[in-house]
Amino acid sequence: MTELLRLSDVTRTVHLPDESDLHILTGVNLSIASGDHIGIIGRSGSGKSTLLNLLGLLDKPTTGTIEWDGRDTRDLSSRQAARIRGRDVGFVFQQFNLLPGRTALDNVAAPLMYAPGRAFWNRREIAAEMLRRVGLAARVDSMPESLSGGEQQRVAIARALVRGPKVVLADEPTGALDVETGAEVMQMLDAVTYESGAALITITHDIAIAQMARQRFRLEGGKLLSVAEATP
Amino acid sequence: MTGFAAAVVEAWQELRIHKLRVLLSLIGVGVAVCSLTAAVAVGTIAQQGLVEQYEKESGRPAMYSMFAYNGETGTPPPRSVTNDVFDKTMKQFKISFHSMVGDASVTSKLGGKERQISVRIVEPPYADMFRLVPVQGRWLTAKDADNYSPAIVVDARFLKARGLGPGSLPATVKLQGDREVTATIVGQLPKDIYTGSPTVYMLPATYDRWFGTSQPLGDASYQMWVPVTGSKALSAAVRQQLRSQLPSLEVELQRIDYKAHGGGGQFREFKKVVGGIGLLILGLGALSLLNIALVTIKQRVREIGIRRSFGATSGRIFFSVMMESIVATLVAGVVGVIAAVGIVNSSFVHKHLFDNVTDVPGFPASAAVTGVLVSLAVGALAGLVPALVAVRVRIIDAIRF
Repeated sequence: MTELLRLSDVTRTVHLPDESDLHILTGVNLSIASGDHIGIIGRSGSGKSTLLNLLGLLDKPTTGTIEWDGRDTRDLSSRQAARIRGRDVGFVFQQFNLLPGRTALDNVAAPLMYAPGRAFWNRREIAAEMLRRVGLAARVDSMPESLSGGEQQRVAIARALVRGPKVVLADEPTGALDVETGAEVMQMLDAVTYESGAALITITHDIAIAQMARQRFRLEGGKLLSVAEATP
Repeated sequence: MTGFAAAVVEAWQELRIHKLRVLLSLIGVGVAVCSLTAAVAVGTIAQQGLVEQYEKESGRPAMYSMFAYNGETGTPPPRSVTNDVFDKTMKQFKISFHSMVGDASVTSKLGGKERQISVRIVEPPYADMFRLVPVQGRWLTAKDADNYSPAIVVDARFLKARGLGPGSLPATVKLQGDREVTATIVGQLPKDIYTGSPTVYMLPATYDRWFGTSQPLGDASYQMWVPVTGSKALSAAVRQQLRSQLPSLEVELQRIDYKAHGGGGQFREFKKVVGGIGLLILGLGALSLLNIALVTIKQRVREIGIRRSFGATSGRIFFSVMMESIVATLVAGVVGVIAAVGIVNSSFVHKHLFDNVTDVPGFPASAAVTGVLVSLAVGALAGLVPALVAVRVRIIDAIRF
């Protein structure tokens, strides 16, 4: 499998207003290859979201390196980072973050607004096909507010996968769902991602969700600790 | 190309989805653009009204007045001498708009009392030269010289004093000439604001025949209306010709229309005032748009963050917000311009504002173009600040907003 992301001794520190430094992440090392399903578990405030932001090129490390397809992300301009993020990274958020006032189809087609050529011009057909894959063929014209939580998250998953990303980053993807729906959505996310050959990185505080991953890590005090390797 | 199309589609989607907000915010812009465009258009048409007033007073550009006099005594020569020379010269230079102009007075019993009446003795082309358009009846023609009753055209003041109103022409009136004569009023002009007394217009032949024996017309000038371009050279040639034809007399020839001495500056001032009022209205509209746009951007921070997570560059976000503003204000601007055209062309406005304008120009294209361009500029300016705010949104904070 091809290595997509490599984090080497990554730290992320923020400078607080009282002039002190808050070390959110320290010495993080991680390698992610296509097809991986990595689960990262941690309590609130352990740095899970900060790690996700770094992986999604939404933020830059204070020290250490993050290589994306062998390229040091520190060398990327914000424009290049945005281009990679649009093309190769799909986000699934806890609160779904669907665009209000737009149908499920419009939401899934939204990332294709930033795609070049045919993907842009055929965005509605591609989005409809993606919704079909997540089992929402009958809800293409539904507004987010008329969808259940599980359906909204499936729309969000379809949106994350619509440009065929290499990495899907899921931030507490079942956090706003009940246990049963959460498990169902997670299975679907795992299946669809695996089918597309993308790596799935799930960040959660739910052990059950984390256990669905083939590799599991725990974030504790800003350090990423490996948990026992799990079999697929 | 795809990027531009996508930005336009995105902007359009935003407008479609937030149509109520957009509609509310753009009402101000539409009204402002409508006001500006209407002000520019009304200004242009009102300027035409002013021009016409000036032209009625001093003639249409380029208008020249000529008169001859004896250099030693200062007295004018007999009209029979100058008339021939003048007519021949006009024919020679193929100048078709020319007229003798003389002033006299007669008396008439109007409204039960004897009144002094101003008489303007002119030839048929005079009406075109001074924009005189009868509001009822007709203007004088060369054939009127043969009438058995002197044909006259009167102003509104005269007609009112005579006790006549609209639709009353032709009518007759007694004028005291060499003897009392019944004149026929063939036409009526609007009220002349430049003369205080009732005025009648008649042909030189009419005057000579019915009034000239007892009060011969001593002083007369000749006027000609020629194209502005080349008027200097033409007038110089005419002067030279007249002098050569009247060697014993002094011949004066001067331009008399309002543009003779670089006039027209008052129109620039007028336009400035009208434009200034329009811009003030527009500024208020733009301010309200900017206000709403800024508040909206604050509400859309999360959405912007989500789009950034899709790969939208800061440039694309900037362009998208700008486009949204420009597309919206352009639509509002076009609607505003259409409304302005409707208002300015309405019969109500024509009746109350342009009643004194003879040649009401069509809705000025420059006003429509100004309206559309200004709406574009307002859109760009009002979109700039929110676009800069949108670009500065931190993605991580925005998603969690």
